[in-house]
This record gives sequence, C-alpha cells and structure tokens, in this order.
Amino acid sequence: MSEEIKIIERKEIPKEAVMIFGFPDVGLVGVIAASHLISELGLEEVAYMDSRLLPPVIVLHEGLPHSPVRIFGNHRILLAVSETALREDLIYPIMHTLIDWGKAKGVTMMISLSGIPVQDRQDLDELRVFAAASSPEVLKMVQDKGLEILREGYMVGPQAVMLQHCATLGVPALTLLSQCFFNYPDPEAAAKALEQLANLTGVKVDVSKLLEKGEEIRLKARDMMKRTQQELARMRKTQEYDIPLYIS
Amino acid sequence: MSEHNRRRRSISDIIDEYFENFVAWAERVRETIMERPSWNCRTCTMEPLREVMVTTDEVIVTVDLPYAEQNTIEVKPIGKDTIEVSAKMRRKISFDDFGITHHRGEFQRFHCQTRIPVPVYMDRMEIRFKRGILEIHLPRKHEYEIPIE
Repeated sequence: MSEEIKIIERKEIPKEAVMIFGFPDVGLVGVIAASHLISELGLEEVAYMDSRLLPPVIVLHEGLPHSPVRIFGNHRILLAVSETALREDLIYPIMHTLIDWGKAKGVTMMISLSGIPVQDRQDLDELRVFAAASSPEVLKMVQDKGLEILREGYMVGPQAVMLQHCATLGVPALTLLSQCFFNYPDPEAAAKALEQLANLTGVKVDVSKLLEKGEEIRLKARDMMKRTQQELARMRKTQEYDIPLYIS
Repeated sequence: MSEHNRRRRSISDIIDEYFENFVAWAERVRETIMERPSWNCRTCTMEPLREVMVTTDEVIVTVDLPYAEQNTIEVKPIGKDTIEVSAKMRRKISFDDFGITHHRGEFQRFHCQTRIPVPVYMDRMEIRFKRGILEIHLPRKHEYEIPIE
C-alpha cells in the first residue's frame, strides 16, 4: 500500500468477498450503480481512504464528515466508491492502493462498473453491456455467461488501471461497460450494468427504483457530472473512440 | 548526440513546455471563470448540462433537461453566435429534495446560454426532444471556400 494513501478500517472486513468499484466516469454509471447497491443491500461503511493527496474535500452526511472515497460492504461484497470526481494524476495511486488492500483481504474477484459512451445514445432502446477481463480464464467465464467482449480498443480511467494492475498481480478482475451518454448521468445504463453484475455474481438488486427515479437522479447528479467532465477531458477520455493500431 | 543536436532538442523542449504551460494556464482560467453554482435562487432557475458538437455540415447542441415539460421548451438565438435555452419543469424542485438545509430556494425552470463556435444559419434551426435530451441542429454557414489548384 502506498505510504501516502491509507485505508482506515472501521469494521471487520469479510474474507473472500467480491470487490466492486464505482468511480466517476462517463455517464456516472459506476457511481449511480454503486449508490443503488448501497441503498438496496443496506451496505455499511467498513473502511475509508485517508490521504493528503486527495483534494481537501469531505462529504457531510447527517452533519458528520466522511472521506469522499469509501468502502462499503456486507458479508460477501466490498464496494469502493468515490463521491467526488478524481483528479487524473490520483487515479493510479488510488486504484493501486485499493487493489493491493483488497488482495491482502483475500478478495476473490474485482469488478469495475462503468460505461462506454455511444453517439446517439438517446435513440437506443436496448443498451448493450460489454466486458473486459484481466485473464483468459475470467474472459472465458464472462463469455460463458453470455456477455459481449470488448475485443479491441482503448480503455481510459480507473477501470483501465484496475484491469492492468489486477492482471499484473494475478487477481481475477473484470470491467462491465454499459452503453451510455458521455456527458450526461445515465441511470438506465447503471441499471443495465447491475443486471449483468447479478448475472455474473448472483448479487441481485431490484433496478426498477433506479429507472423510476431516473429523472431525479439525473438532476441530482448534474454537479458531479460537470466536475467529472473536466477530469475526463484531462485524462483524454475521448481516446476510447479511437481505432487502435493493433501490433501483434 | 552532438552538442548541436542537444541544443536543438533543448529549444524544442522549451517551446513544448511553454505551450503546455500556456494550455494548462488557459484551462485553469476557463475553469475559474466557469466556477459558479449550477443554480440561481433569484431567478429560480437551474443550469442544465449541455454539449456542443461541430460536424462538417452542422453544429449539434444537446441539453439534458430532466423533468422538463416538452411544450414549454424555448430555444432562442441571441445574436449570431449564441442560443438561449429555457424550459419549465413538471414539478418544483427545492434544496430540501436534495437533503440540503443550509440553502433555501425553489427551482422551476432550466435556463442556459450557449455559444456556437462556428458560423451557423440560426433561422434553419431544427429541434427534437427525446429521453429528456433536447437536441438542436444548426446547419453550418460556410462563408467562403478556398479553391484547390
């Protein structure tokens, strides 16, 4: 674990859990999905991130301070979530610290929930969810469950760092990418990602509320989306639209 | 590497660094200017998220308008290079709805102005509204063409 970033544990951490990541990215898919998981499963805060590298921001809930990067959990899942847009230069140290910590806690699999932007999103009635994995074994497992694979292309952001670092450490990991708006909060895309999470892990939640409250969520998420847009521009997120020059 | 090459690379590095610093400075200035609340209690309006895309034939502006009443959406050109968008919401939104108790105010409209970065025909504007997203299409005005010899 990086000495500059600490994870402070507040409760006993479950062994052999699945660790899920919901970080600010296109369509805020991961954050919206994570927030829904927390409320539907009644997850409790089990740990939080403390670092002088983080912006001088706290999140107040019921008048009490909380770190913007926290880990929630129950007996079978751990869920890392950020309530603030993360600066591009912090993504590596934050993701490495979380993954190293999860590995030390015996996490069996890491799953990042995120989005893949599509043009003309408002014309799509059915959203597709793609997956990318850290190893051929995980890729096969994902394919066996009927998910589409993101075969070629670039991935930019926390989920990219997660996949690469997990591949290096030999930790099974995958990223679920739901088709979404680039710059607008997309609760529908978050619901799709959660449906595939249930398909893969058995962690099921009712997504109907997420769809019913879609407009309310979009309104509430405006400011976070605006700040995330600025960070996405800095990390050159539009590179995900690029056609890669594949070198075999 | 020769002394000459070292010196040449060094000048190029200085120029690159100068431009990188300039771009970073311009970005910081832009963000500072844009740094303001996304709501206005005096006018009871909220500023929607929006995006401008320039293609070869047109400029497409999209605006995210959750809760907007479709028949109240107004798009007005302001001069040659700016459009103003406003829309009434189906319900009043207050800070209480967000769990915020240290501000007071209610919002019932979206309002924003957006600059169009290239010349367009404002009078040929086309609008559609789907899934709470307003899409404004403005044909581009190509004022002159450079002949290819």
